[in-house]
Amino acid sequence: MKEVKPPSWAERFLGWYCDPYFLEEIEGDIYELFDRRVATQGQQRARLLFIWDVIRFLRWSNIKKSNSKFKYMNNTVLFANYLKLGIRNIRRNLPSATINILGLAMAISFAITVFIFVDAQYSVDKHHANGDRIYQLTNYVEQEGEENLWGYSPFLLGPAIAEEHPAVEYFTRMKYVSASIRHGDHVFDETVKFVDPDFMRMMDFEVSSGNRFALNQTDQIVISQAIVTKYFEYEEPVGKDLSFKFLDGEIRRFTVGAVLEEYPYNAGVRGNFFVPISNYFSMNADTHIDWSDMTTATFIMMREGQPVTSIESSYDRYIQQQHGSNPDWKIQSILPISLWDLSTQSYLITGGVSGGGHPAGRLALMILAGFLLGIACFNFMNISVAASTKRLKEIALRKVMGSVKTQIINQFLTENVLQCFFALIAGIVMAYFLFIPGFDQLIPQMDLQFRAHDPMKLALFLVVLLLVVGLISGAYPAFYISRFDAISIFKGSQKFGSGNLFSKVLLGFQLFLASFIIVGCFVMVDQSIYLSYKDWGYTPEGTFSVFVNNQEQYDLLKNELIKHPDIQSTTASTHLIGRGLPLKSIEYNDRQIALRTYGVSQDYMETMQLRMEDGRELTDRSSDQEQHVIVNETFVQQIGWQNSPVNKTFKMDSVRYTVVGVVKDFHYYSFFSGIEPLVIKGLGEAAPRYISVKASPDKLIAVHDFAREKWQEVAPNDPFDAVFQEDSFNDFYQENDTNIKITLWISAMAIILASLGLYGLLAFNIQKKLKEFSIRKVLGASPKTIIRLAGRQYSWILLIAFVLGAPLGFLGMSALIQSVFPDPKAISVLPFIVAISIIVITLVVTVSGQVIRAIRVNPADVLRNE
Amino acid sequence: MKGNHLGELEELVLLTVGSLFDKAYGVAVMDELRTSANRDMNISAIHAVLRRLEEKGLLNSRMGGSTNERGGRRKRLFTLTKSGKQAIDETIAVRNALYNKIPDMSFNFSI
Repeated sequence: MKEVKPPSWAERFLGWYCDPYFLEEIEGDIYELFDRRVATQGQQRARLLFIWDVIRFLRWSNIKKSNSKFKYMNNTVLFANYLKLGIRNIRRNLPSATINILGLAMAISFAITVFIFVDAQYSVDKHHANGDRIYQLTNYVEQEGEENLWGYSPFLLGPAIAEEHPAVEYFTRMKYVSASIRHGDHVFDETVKFVDPDFMRMMDFEVSSGNRFALNQTDQIVISQAIVTKYFEYEEPVGKDLSFKFLDGEIRRFTVGAVLEEYPYNAGVRGNFFVPISNYFSMNADTHIDWSDMTTATFIMMREGQPVTSIESSYDRYIQQQHGSNPDWKIQSILPISLWDLSTQSYLITGGVSGGGHPAGRLALMILAGFLLGIACFNFMNISVAASTKRLKEIALRKVMGSVKTQIINQFLTENVLQCFFALIAGIVMAYFLFIPGFDQLIPQMDLQFRAHDPMKLALFLVVLLLVVGLISGAYPAFYISRFDAISIFKGSQKFGSGNLFSKVLLGFQLFLASFIIVGCFVMVDQSIYLSYKDWGYTPEGTFSVFVNNQEQYDLLKNELIKHPDIQSTTASTHLIGRGLPLKSIEYNDRQIALRTYGVSQDYMETMQLRMEDGRELTDRSSDQEQHVIVNETFVQQIGWQNSPVNKTFKMDSVRYTVVGVVKDFHYYSFFSGIEPLVIKGLGEAAPRYISVKASPDKLIAVHDFAREKWQEVAPNDPFDAVFQEDSFNDFYQENDTNIKITLWISAMAIILASLGLYGLLAFNIQKKLKEFSIRKVLGASPKTIIRLAGRQYSWILLIAFVLGAPLGFLGMSALIQSVFPDPKAISVLPFIVAISIIVITLVVTVSGQVIRAIRVNPADVLRNE
Repeated sequence: MKGNHLGELEELVLLTVGSLFDKAYGVAVMDELRTSANRDMNISAIHAVLRRLEEKGLLNSRMGGSTNERGGRRKRLFTLTKSGKQAIDETIAVRNALYNKIPDMSFNFSI
């Protein structure tokens, strides 16, 4: 009769969970029962009951609590031994261990920097303790078929909600207005923020002096610390008066009621002058405020425990009221955004008040940090595997002495975590002294320091980083090595390292990543360098412009300026190139053409040094000022005029204009935005806003100082706001420069990490083969043979990594540039070639040192060792 | 004290081990309980009680010799310890003392 057996999986399950001490008796009893049941109840039922018994024995007292066969093992002592050996190993292989640790440290410090960078952005406004109860009421408005999220909201929204819903504790509106502010001879243009008095109850701004609730008095204001130094120098500001001159010419005096402490670095909502909003209403007393009037932002604060959803029901009513008074600007829906989330969401909001950029930059940095960490981990793994070939005998001996597999794994993981710990320390030091100050300099808009909003989070991040990097990079070598059989190691039949496919794939992958990143970065840098030397379409040197408030100031200043012998020409305009030109839309042959337009007076082209393509300049003759225009090439192209556009006409704002000249395309904003159709018309009735002056570039500073002097006489109440045309693209150049530096940094790190990886691996393998090379040399091998032998393993990997990585990086980055920049440089192979040669040169230098060592080796030295 | 108190099942198992003298192991105890006390129990419950009684010091155990039955697995054989025997004596004495106090009249159900 065939012997009947119980289900084997159930047996194995029992063996797996059961404490070995009880296993035998339990097994014996249920086998006995099984056999008896097979005889009495049949096979099927016996098997089922067997499974049932196994499950019933799964009790806490039967489960084995320790994986080890030995109940009491002194793991602490072993652990100390692992640490000691780890340190000895680092000391013995100091050069390669240093390389390994430094490479990892670099990637870690980059990751820390990115963490701090991202943390600084995510922690914005988190210092307001009630931030989760404070909401900005943003709203969706449909414009040309798109729903845009706006921060602007009706003035009446806040009060209406607060009155209707007791769940709303406070509300405040913020209205931004420009004004010239004067104290003694200090006059500056500033942004004034009108707020409701409860603003100071909702936000947790520290007050350094004065009364926190000063805004309750209509004539008192709260100012920031920055303003104290700007206007008052060493005076005590509280109680002093400031005079505000608003754009409509109204002058008001306010008393400083309180001064805020220096803003914390992560304050998003901030301001320099907070003025009670009742002043805004009394200033605009002639216009009745209704639902169509918009304030810059509305904030509400819910009572504790009251969800913001509780007021949702009444939104519709407000929206109806708003539609009634402003049918052209229809709010579709209201979206409350909590103050803590405001900064990270603000890229979605038009007219946001909390700063904060687009998340794409953060994301790109996080991905890059991940990549670099990945490369560094691969390095680490490869070198660890290679390094452990030297330690096979140690492993075998440990096994013979009774070490089990898990202990070997623990040993190698411990050593890896130890090395990662050193790397982490080095990484923190590097981040503190090098990376974060570097980043801080690159991004002047941000004050970046080694700190986190929540230090515990930073500490947690560091610990997690240590464990993840240590375990990931140590896992492969540890599991791989611990599998080896002690006997085969002692016999010498255990071979590994050289033919290891896994380490080749790792090396290939990191070289692939490196060449991908480097080639991509160089294409980007090439584009940025091109942009920084690109012609603006006009000559900016030798021109500056002064902002004037009205015709009278213009006339007075011009009369003074033309007396100066060095001034070659002057002109007036309503807007300034580089400061934004207004948009308009015209209809021509049933087509809508969006264009930018502004007014100028005589000599504009000459003063601003724009280049005429065709026709003539505008003069001060009334026909020129009212009916004639100059257009740019893009305009001609878009409107579709085939032959000379001079004397052609078109209608704009129901006036028919005749083209008298065509100006060459020039960049009026920055290279990040394209050139749109442009119409330069006469000033006509419009008041001049800028007076522009041309002088020879070397005299320009003197002329500028002269103009400032005269300005004090002409308009002592207004700030002197002058722009050198050369500086008008400064923001753009700064951003461009930052881009170049960050990209170069990243490519430098990628190439250093890749060469470190290659160097480390090669160093080990050549060290291992030194005897082979020596014997070959003794037998007459030529240096060429040695080079071939030493490089054979890696040349193919290098080649494959390049052939895949470089073109991918090139194509990827080119596609990105094409989609981001409106006017990209024609793609050239130059950056490709430069990047490839840099990689090749670096790697050849890395490799050659090792190969030369292999060639120069004195066989006598190596072979005599034994 | 916990060790002095015997549960009903513990008492039964203890008695069974005593009666099976030197042949008491898991399955045997289970079978004996079924036949003489009409208690059908899972083998894992028997093991749990036996182990608990051993921990209380009422039972001793040793591994028996290996045979061809039971897949070659040895039996754990249990015997009563001195305090085990005492525990049984005490409980039975308590029961008897209480039993003897029951007056005869209480059996006169039929008026």
